[in-house]
Amino acid sequence: MRAGMKSRNDDSSLQIFLGSLKLKNPVMAASGTFGYGEEYAPLLPLRNLGAIVTKGLSLDPRKGNPPPRLAETPAGMLNAIGLENVGLKAFLREKLPRLRKFRCPIIVNIFGNSVEEYAEMARRLGDVEGISGLEVNISCPNLKAGGSLFAADPKSVFQVTAKIRQAAARFMMVKLSPNVADIGKIAQAAEEGGADAVSLINTLVGLAIDVRTRTPILANITGGLSGPAIKPVGLAMVWRVAQAVKVPVVGLGGITTAEDALEYLIAGATAVQVGCAHFFDPRAPLKIIDGISRYLKAQNLSDISSLVGSLKTK
Amino acid sequence: MKTEPREVKGKIVNHRRISPEYYTLRIQAPEIARAARPGQFVMIRLDDTYDPLLRRPFGFSRILPPNQKRGGGFAEGGFEICYQVVGRGTARLTRLREGERADVLGPLGRGFWREEGRERLILVGGGIGIAPLLPWAEELGGRKAGTREVQPEILLGGRDAHRLLGVREIKRMGLEPQIATEDGSAGLRGTATDLLERDLLSKGDESKAIYACGPMPMLAKVAQIAEQFDVPCQVLLESRMACGVGACLGCAVKIRAEGKGEEEEEKENLSASKGGLCRPEEETEIPLPEEMAARISPAPNFRYGRVCLEGPVFRAQEILWE
Repeated sequence: MRAGMKSRNDDSSLQIFLGSLKLKNPVMAASGTFGYGEEYAPLLPLRNLGAIVTKGLSLDPRKGNPPPRLAETPAGMLNAIGLENVGLKAFLREKLPRLRKFRCPIIVNIFGNSVEEYAEMARRLGDVEGISGLEVNISCPNLKAGGSLFAADPKSVFQVTAKIRQAAARFMMVKLSPNVADIGKIAQAAEEGGADAVSLINTLVGLAIDVRTRTPILANITGGLSGPAIKPVGLAMVWRVAQAVKVPVVGLGGITTAEDALEYLIAGATAVQVGCAHFFDPRAPLKIIDGISRYLKAQNLSDISSLVGSLKTK
Repeated sequence: MKTEPREVKGKIVNHRRISPEYYTLRIQAPEIARAARPGQFVMIRLDDTYDPLLRRPFGFSRILPPNQKRGGGFAEGGFEICYQVVGRGTARLTRLREGERADVLGPLGRGFWREEGRERLILVGGGIGIAPLLPWAEELGGRKAGTREVQPEILLGGRDAHRLLGVREIKRMGLEPQIATEDGSAGLRGTATDLLERDLLSKGDESKAIYACGPMPMLAKVAQIAEQFDVPCQVLLESRMACGVGACLGCAVKIRAEGKGEEEEEKENLSASKGGLCRPEEETEIPLPEEMAARISPAPNFRYGRVCLEGPVFRAQEILWE
């Protein structure tokens, strides 16, 4: 790195650990909102990010859902992309080599249609060079656990986490769905299964209707809600999970500004992910990193970890 | 044809209503104007509040590179967009005032390009879809230093005279547009595709190429006509978008792909497992179940392409029209 390129983003007080994984700052790009990095490379220096979580990857390529796939809602948006992705082979051959050039830690988000498929993905990514870890999406709509949603069933979540743990020794965080009765129990199941961290929240199920035609706006009828509208939900769930597990929590859901990120850290997140904000403010992650850095200085904090879970409730 | 996008705060230097339906917005942004190509677009952030949350895509209706005192003598450089109020986003846009700054991301996507060996170019626009054709018309046939290599034919359609735009701009370029409106309030009674069919039928010329923008049904018709007359055709598509840079996969459009569709493959595997391929004469002896009927006209294979990155300009035959 050229000396002149050194910036506030190299501030060592921002350094965090997710288990064994060291990141230079706590701000990651969330899966599905940042493509494979290259899409945003002209707009911001990717190496300044804490990590990039890549678009959800499956063993075989997936076409995704028919359009319309997007609907804007108050302070948010619904998406029903349908997990479109290039598949493992093309990812390793085409996307990963390009992504590695940006010199930013890469976390690969994976999903499967069965527990075996998750394990197979983990095995095949287990010793791939140039990636820092896996994020496991347990909300694949094709996954069933005896008729109920897989992500809502602690036993299934334990099972898939344990299988992946057996298949790959590398850093693994499980991404939790908010569409469950008690997210704390699901987080505990992931922890027992061997997860190094949990990330939450994935999108909330939502619906938008065109009243003139009385049809859903999305071809898929329902979609996942993201954006500032879901931030309070994400915060409450991060707070709940942070008390339920010992592994680090990565918070996401509606983070747009440094203040949003700080709220998540105070609620108990060790790191955060920026998602939907990239779409309307591509440089949001940099602004957030700078903002956190300024906050630490203003508060005379030398280490971001003293902020994590510092919510005063009395 | 592709350029690196940037995010800039552009000054609004002109904003006016050009008809009951349409507005024109001129934004000073030399960095974008320098790189912009006809057919490309920008994503504009309407407000820094969260409602509306997302940027909106707009094609360039005019590109004014810096230091080229043309038309309005806009030395700083910038671009224009034309828009129609269709929802909350565009309603918000009307409230932007001259002197204010707008957050612009661009230039984005793949613009128009010349087809090799094609000299007789036909531009077909419908309604607000005329706007992104204007800089292409200007580049192809504008009065630039007297070297007019090609003189594009311009075919414009709209529901009525109010839903036409660009007539004056095209004339200012020294070109004479042909016009059709559905109610006959301007030009011929009919549609832009009627003009296109008439044109292709009347003048047999080998070296034609078509460039079109307008509503989807119009573009599907243009694509069909282009195929019928075997003329290369580029279409500029519109879509809902979130990111504009190819990351969110929200602006999906069906692109023809090689090979069979997934469902077709499954059916073939199924029939193969039942004892190999049936001979056609054997097939006719049994009533055709649905899957057999489907095999007679198999669903073409496709993939979803990103309008924002692979387009918004596509070859018409790349698209799986439905």
